[in-house]
Amino acid sequence: MKSGRPKRGLAVNDLRVEFYTDDGIVKAVDGVDFTVDPGIRMGIVGESGSGKTTTALALMGMIEPPGKVVGGHAKLDELELLDLTEEQYRQHRLATVSYIPQGAMNSLNPVARIGTQILDGMTDHGHNLRGNEARDRVADLLTQVDLSPDVARMFPHELSGGMKQRACIAIAIALQPKLLIADEPTSALDVITQRRVMETLRKVQEEIGSSLILIGHDMGLMAQFVDEMMVMNNGRVVEQGKVRDIFARPSHSYTKLLIDSVPSLKRSERAQTGLNGNHAKAASEVPLLEFDAVGKTYSKGRTRIEALKPLTLRLDGDIPRVIAIVGQSGSGKTTMGSLALGFETASQGMVHFDGVDIGKMTNGASSKFRREVQAVFQDPYASYNPFYKVDHVLTVPLSKFKIARSRSEALGHMIQACESVGLDPAQTIHRYAHQMSGGQRQRLMVGRAIMLKPRLLVADEPVSMVDASLRSTILNNLAAMKAELGTSVLYITHDLATAYEIADFVLVLHKGQVVEAGRPETVIDDPQHPYTRLLVDSIPWPDPNRNWGTGGSIDEELKEVAAADLSAPTIIREQVAGFHLG
Amino acid sequence: MAETYNQDNQKIVQDWGTSARRWRTLAAYLRRNPSLIVGTVLLFILAMIAIGGQFFIDYSDAQPLSNRPSRPPSEQYPLGTDKFGRNLLAILVYGTYLTGKVGLIAGALGVIIGAILGFLAGFYRGWVDTVISLVTDVLLTIPPLLVLVVIATNISGKLDTNQMAIIISLLAWRQPTRQIRAQVLIMREAGYVKTARLGGTSRMGIVFKELMPNLIPYLMASFVLTVATAMLASVGLEALGLGPQNEPTLGMTIYWVMLEGAFSTGLWWWWATPLIALIILFVGLYLVSVGLDELANPRTRRRGI
Repeated sequence: MKSGRPKRGLAVNDLRVEFYTDDGIVKAVDGVDFTVDPGIRMGIVGESGSGKTTTALALMGMIEPPGKVVGGHAKLDELELLDLTEEQYRQHRLATVSYIPQGAMNSLNPVARIGTQILDGMTDHGHNLRGNEARDRVADLLTQVDLSPDVARMFPHELSGGMKQRACIAIAIALQPKLLIADEPTSALDVITQRRVMETLRKVQEEIGSSLILIGHDMGLMAQFVDEMMVMNNGRVVEQGKVRDIFARPSHSYTKLLIDSVPSLKRSERAQTGLNGNHAKAASEVPLLEFDAVGKTYSKGRTRIEALKPLTLRLDGDIPRVIAIVGQSGSGKTTMGSLALGFETASQGMVHFDGVDIGKMTNGASSKFRREVQAVFQDPYASYNPFYKVDHVLTVPLSKFKIARSRSEALGHMIQACESVGLDPAQTIHRYAHQMSGGQRQRLMVGRAIMLKPRLLVADEPVSMVDASLRSTILNNLAAMKAELGTSVLYITHDLATAYEIADFVLVLHKGQVVEAGRPETVIDDPQHPYTRLLVDSIPWPDPNRNWGTGGSIDEELKEVAAADLSAPTIIREQVAGFHLG
Repeated sequence: MAETYNQDNQKIVQDWGTSARRWRTLAAYLRRNPSLIVGTVLLFILAMIAIGGQFFIDYSDAQPLSNRPSRPPSEQYPLGTDKFGRNLLAILVYGTYLTGKVGLIAGALGVIIGAILGFLAGFYRGWVDTVISLVTDVLLTIPPLLVLVVIATNISGKLDTNQMAIIISLLAWRQPTRQIRAQVLIMREAGYVKTARLGGTSRMGIVFKELMPNLIPYLMASFVLTVATAMLASVGLEALGLGPQNEPTLGMTIYWVMLEGAFSTGLWWWWATPLIALIILFVGLYLVSVGLDELANPRTRRRGI
């Protein structure tokens, strides 16, 4: 398919994009040079605001005012992209340069069938297919992205997130473009779906022989997927080269920071700290948290969904532990957290905190429970009441739990809370949540938890919505809570890799059931259950030499998981002191 | 984004939570929301005329046969008099007052009933929600003027403005109920409700300290809208002649204008006065409601206008 094309690929020279704002000119892209040869996968890595998406939009001719391309060249084969008029551009988009957007769910038209949406773009570019011809072409494209041809007749809401993303890929490759730009195509998907989508994308890109630019912030994904990459920071390229070279010898400090922020096989000292039991109190008879055959069933009309199958566990609390609960969405992991927080009542069994059934607490016990069990949630925006400034989340518990008796005392605690997570109090406490970045908001929630010194912290996906470089800061804070305050943590996540880093014990949850449990190094280095194996194989390790899915394709592994006996007992690899499962 | 408080950070920490700071923030906000200000000023002017005017002009001037009839605007009668000998300046003062009173009473009753019903339905769900929603939805399909005409015809004549307000409020709670219920449904699931529970806030605390403050802009916007709707309904009923016959409300004035053919007899000051008062009234209400909409969504605040 490559024949007949001049083998030039994309060459970008001194690309400059500026935004004209009230505060002055922002140089979003400030002199960027790179080339992408045909058939090569190029990664652009950086955090939000680094200019990576702006670079892609400039190549697509989609920079909107107040932004403007102010200089540079971008040649795709013999075509100068930056000189095209809007109408010329319209004809080249999709046909020559094609874009795979970030949120597939928002990019598809909810009221049109997938087949129609694939044909729309083709018709617009003069490929007016009809009848059988059209149906065959759509079926071909869908097969190419590993979807059944029947998907053509479906509406977006009938597809899962991963399927929608693959339908978007089918639209993008329909006209066999020379350049594909994928902007964080899997950011909203869990690791297993991410691996499937990326494998599909790699396959079709190799089949049509186009160049590909992958934009993202996940170094692990880059290591697994691209051939070459460039690291952007503040609109400039700080490092570029072959992906193996960069991972082997990162030269720029920012690149090192990004690589280090991804959990890797090197188990950090975080998890080890506090293991020696510095905070071990005299072993108390009463466990901190106890699940006694706790199950949760939701009824929806006549169907009953078993979110969590009866589960028995005991967390003593005298030795602080980080227990990771790992699973995909729908596995019941968040239900487990809600049960521990008392936000949901168990359908069967009992949840005990400090020996008291949390369903039947007296006022005194209830207020002690609230004081000693805190949480950090996934969405750092929703956690703040928009009516109040962010100090509200700190002052309410300070006064309700009678920690501070005066305004100045409260202020002292608040300044401490901000400083414990590296926020400037003067820049923080008088703000509304919408005036802070997602990372700042999440750090303040962690600071709040530290300030309240709980005995148990439920951390529900605390890092899944923050930038990569902040992830390790937040995980460090959680580890410090365990080491310094003796807090036990229920760490709920879909990401085995971060669990590997900070957890003392891992529970792998699949369809409401713990399928495998043990120390993270045992579970992750040698998974026994097919589902655990699938999860482990789908981790995008930040190491180009460690292949995604060491053996077999993901489809075989998925079949194996489907075949696994759900009623089989949990594979318990070992127990650790202070936590007992079953 | 001009954030005035970034200049002196130290001061801000000391300043944390004081009322002086709150007033400064409020003043800064109002500068960015001109429709709220213009609307409030318009309504304030009307209120001054309606309330302040009563100290200078006697109510009897707004009664028939109190002055010489059909006089054009002059020094003695700045807005002229109508065919029955009523001073139109007095009608402006007392008519605006009476119409405003009807709207405010009906609007307040409607929003209070609506807020209570909406809150019950949204917060407690279950059968309470089913019953309230069903009744509201059924009543929403009935054109209010139809019901009001039926009721008002049966008791017109001896009607006064207070009874008028109560009749209108009979149907004024439907929209607020729906709006408040929808907001409560969204808010009760919000992450900050969880955060508040973790902070030891009681159930009542969550209702009044976490949810209510976020509802205040909606309640205010809903109130303004309900008042506008109630006034529109009252003016509509009165223009049909179904209002209080013996009180000079703006709507009744319109009715007499039409009945006596003021348009064809050249008494332009007779219809111009109530009309301009009504226009100012509704434009003011509209602007205030637009301004409150902006206030209701804090995320639009920083964009300014």
